[in-house]
Amino acid sequence: MKHKLLPLSETMHYILLALREPHHGYAVMQEIEEMSNGSVILAAGTLYGAIENLNKHGWIEAVGSSGRRKIYKITTEGSAVLKLEQERLLHILSLYEGSE
Amino acid sequence: MKKIKWFFNIEKEEQWLNEQLQKGFRCTGISGFGIYTFDKTEKQYVMRLDYQDYLPKDKLQDYKGIYEDFGWHYIKGSWLSGIRYWQKEEGNQNEIFSDRQSKGKYYKRLMGYSFLMGMLCLALSYMIYKDLSGFYHDGLWNMEGALFWYALLFETPFVLLKLSPVMLAILFGSSFYSGYRNYSVLIEK
Repeated sequence: MKHKLLPLSETMHYILLALREPHHGYAVMQEIEEMSNGSVILAAGTLYGAIENLNKHGWIEAVGSSGRRKIYKITTEGSAVLKLEQERLLHILSLYEGSE
Repeated sequence: MKKIKWFFNIEKEEQWLNEQLQKGFRCTGISGFGIYTFDKTEKQYVMRLDYQDYLPKDKLQDYKGIYEDFGWHYIKGSWLSGIRYWQKEEGNQNEIFSDRQSKGKYYKRLMGYSFLMGMLCLALSYMIYKDLSGFYHDGLWNMEGALFWYALLFETPFVLLKLSPVMLAILFGSSFYSGYRNYSVLIEK
């Protein structure tokens, strides 16, 4: 059976993409706001829960801290998940193109 | 200003708190037994209630840290009830959940809490009522006239006290149901 976080929700997807570079929580939200051209603005509870969840599954990890903020980064396993999602989405996109 | 109010439904509590804030107040403290303290303010504040089970010290720090970065101020939280009270000045983002999945999980946490509390109340009721002899107040029904009414008045609070776990169980049950309804609406959308 598929992993329970797959296919990735928009929130999880953006967080994993943002954490290809190390960031602390609030910076992840800012990064995502920019990446999505302002269309995805995460709220505090959603971000906290998603980071906890991704961390629990070993897709991201804490790599240090700046002051009291923890800095997170994607793990090898997390990168593999992104790769799978990319293939899935590319396939769906190819179906769009085929119909034109 | 202090107000005393009891809630068994976290959403009703959040709604009531925000009604107070709309009248130009800001919440400065919440103590056990439902005592809420408010201060007059010129600014507009919003409150949001989250539910989290017991968080160990380092997790609580992470949890608070992220909310505080978003401008939320932690008013109160206790591991016993699990309700976390957050307040911030009204702005662009006044919600603590921005997607359906996280809001759904929040309702699930609430349901788990209500279920557990309801079960505890039922267990307590069982322990009280399995000794039924104490419940019927035999002597009372043999009394007549004024004496009966005095005795009835005297006994009533004790009967209510004995019934309170059942009433609490019903209240927690209804809050479980309201959590479930919110959750299922969210999933169907």
